[in-house]
Amino acid sequence: MRTGSGHAFHYQPGAGVTVESSSEADPAESALWLSGSVYAAVAVLNGFYPVHASAVAHNGQVHAFTGPSGAGKSTLVAGLGQRGLPLFCDDTMLLDLSDPARIIALPGHKRLKLTNEALALTGAAEQEPVGSDTGKSYALSRAGTAVQPLPLARLAFLEAGATCAVEPITGGERLLRLDDDHYTLAYYLEARQPRREELFKLRTRLAQQLDMARLIRPMDRGRFAESLDLAERLVRGNGQGVTG
Amino acid sequence: MELLVKARDRFSETEIDTEIVVMSLGSGDFFSLTGTARAIWELIDGTRGKDALVTDLAASYCIAEDEIEGEVGAFLDQLGRAGLLASG
Repeated sequence: MRTGSGHAFHYQPGAGVTVESSSEADPAESALWLSGSVYAAVAVLNGFYPVHASAVAHNGQVHAFTGPSGAGKSTLVAGLGQRGLPLFCDDTMLLDLSDPARIIALPGHKRLKLTNEALALTGAAEQEPVGSDTGKSYALSRAGTAVQPLPLARLAFLEAGATCAVEPITGGERLLRLDDDHYTLAYYLEARQPRREELFKLRTRLAQQLDMARLIRPMDRGRFAESLDLAERLVRGNGQGVTG
Repeated sequence: MELLVKARDRFSETEIDTEIVVMSLGSGDFFSLTGTARAIWELIDGTRGKDALVTDLAASYCIAEDEIEGEVGAFLDQLGRAGLLASG
């Protein structure tokens, strides 16, 4: 894998990842790639299915939030840390699908990547900056991290809207929503090159075994606590009877 | 009479909640079938042609055949254009 900023990453099973960087390349950016895209690509090559999601753990299960970059995944799970829900993973969630009866998620990185605004909103413990020009810092969740693989309970799709609401995703839309994942899906397709039929079977399995919902909330820092209340109720109540 | 037969080598299908989702293996397009569309899809089993299908569907829904004949025909045409039907 080559970046446009002077880094190249070579992976060989059993030998690990070798990083090649030009003299002008930012070393901190290399770490960012390693913990993101390279992490997802290596996982795919080893049989795992990556989802572009951040997640918390609760009662022995994983509750994941997905959406495009900028949707607020990291900020939400950092905020849930303030409510006592430990971080499970940030940005990339790996799924182990080897047991047909259940979907197991693997715990990810121990640190979040947050903007200054997100740090202020969530109270997460700030650490060093992420690269030189990302505008983000590494941070630790106030509730710590989960370290054991756990069954995935739900995938919630983050959406912006005027009012807070949780809506279940049902029927064929469950399959279609699994098609709108981002760079992680591209890696899976590139590495595994599944036939359409195989991909359909995989998505069918995920759609049938996972609870899915859309979590709609305003992208307004003044109403962050309100959206956090809703997300917390979704996680702690396991989705039962949650309304905006 | 031409029997209606699904082109089973050209699609994958699954049931999710109350919907049947069909994916064309050729185009990758998805078709979500609910209600009467699902009922029509399930009646396409290689044993009946269009007229018999209309008769059975009309009986299921307690409705006159001539009220649904046109819509059933249009739906079958759609399935055919999507490559989901084979010649019976």
